[in-house]
Amino acid sequence: MNSVVSVTDFYFKYLRSDLVLKNINLEIEKGSFTVIIGPSGAGKTTLCKAITGIVPYYTGGDYAGDIKVLGETTKGKKVSDLAMKVGLMLEDYESQLVSLTAGEEVAFSLLNHGFPPEEAEERTRKALEDVGLPGRESYQLDELSGGQRQRLALASLLAVHPEIIVLDEPVSAMDPDGGESLYKLLGKIREEYGTTFIVVEHRVEFVLPYATNLLAIKNGEVAAQGRCEDVIPRVYEDTDLRPLLPDLWQIKCNLEKKTAQKFALWKSEKEAVAELQAKGFGRGVRA
Amino acid sequence: MTGKIPDAVPEEKKITAPPLIHVEANQEGYRWVAITAMLFAIGIILHTVSPNVGGVTPNWTIAMYSIVINLTRPPLKRAIGIGFIAGLTLIPSSKSAFPLGNIASELCGATTCCLLVKAFVACRMGDWRLTPFITGFAATFVSGGVFTFILKLVLGLPLRVWIFAMLPVVAVVGVLNGLITFGLFRPVKKLFYAQEGGEEK
Repeated sequence: MNSVVSVTDFYFKYLRSDLVLKNINLEIEKGSFTVIIGPSGAGKTTLCKAITGIVPYYTGGDYAGDIKVLGETTKGKKVSDLAMKVGLMLEDYESQLVSLTAGEEVAFSLLNHGFPPEEAEERTRKALEDVGLPGRESYQLDELSGGQRQRLALASLLAVHPEIIVLDEPVSAMDPDGGESLYKLLGKIREEYGTTFIVVEHRVEFVLPYATNLLAIKNGEVAAQGRCEDVIPRVYEDTDLRPLLPDLWQIKCNLEKKTAQKFALWKSEKEAVAELQAKGFGRGVRA
Repeated sequence: MTGKIPDAVPEEKKITAPPLIHVEANQEGYRWVAITAMLFAIGIILHTVSPNVGGVTPNWTIAMYSIVINLTRPPLKRAIGIGFIAGLTLIPSSKSAFPLGNIASELCGATTCCLLVKAFVACRMGDWRLTPFITGFAATFVSGGVFTFILKLVLGLPLRVWIFAMLPVVAVVGVLNGLITFGLFRPVKKLFYAQEGGEEK
């Protein structure tokens, strides 16, 4: 397997806290779309920060184990150097915006990394186009809506062409349409560039069509990990984690348990209805 | 991701962590510079515009670097640097007979503050950390003491004048500065750590 992130026996505690991450072992496959789920305070955000080198080297703390990104350990690496390989968009994405205009915002990290102005300009144009904000280079940040600013934060990540993008609850403050549209965009970027996505998401229903892998975290430990179809039944068995699964997957697991039949990994209601009808469910039932 | 799926973690399973490696926060040197510069700027402005009441004026610059040292807990070398810069910033607005004395006095003040911050890390009264008051007072007292002693030497004043006339005024300013440092420490800390989720250092 070609893994881009490899976490081995990783433990971490912040200064003056208990262990936040315990015995984390995981591999993230190149080009995968991994969704991290878990109850609040389980350590999801800390894990994201660990993958991007913020934890422990920026925040400080105590750790054991190792994290490798694209085959290189994060030990002793500057967050800014790792940012060229792995981009992070925090839940509070507004805190990542530092410039006056959209163009300056996207070009900021490029210029800081020594890209020539012409290349920075070209990458900025392309990144804004990719996130659906073409020609908005001169827009002031306050002229953009919340959703557009979020896309701008994403464009800033895309501009440096990272192989891995980590997003911490990217749609937490969005309406359902906004959430769907953002994930559609991420799906498109993944298809186009083969980018590996790691997403912390409470509202898993948004990522159903795109998720390939699932990582469940509970009390700082990995409760289950692997391809969605393998992990979902295990997560369903855990009463703390079950409510985090989208309704569609809960129905699938429940049906599999009750009928002893296997169903495909439904990515949408349409797929579920089609399979259920094909298997003779609902025959004779009128709407 | 691996195809191997670990079993769900049992509730009662206790994980013993191996020996952990301690890492100091490495915030790439930018934030402490920014906060130091910002507080110095505020200190200089307040130092310039503060009126003299009954011969006593709080020394805002010392209060500000005391807050900076309490917040960022710099190593001694860096604290000496902060003291040196503080001394330099005080020279242009100094009305004393020997403005350069500010450099020596602030070097001593910042060094005292840094050493006391390291010594009084856990000094608390209920929820309140007393270290900002203690260090604000001590830094001002030492800095003022050194400055007035230099002044005594330059002007050839008797020792009794320094002890009975100058040091009491320095002590009053020290108390004022201690209170300012204590009062401003919490709000500045909240701003300083807002991006870090308010982690207590």
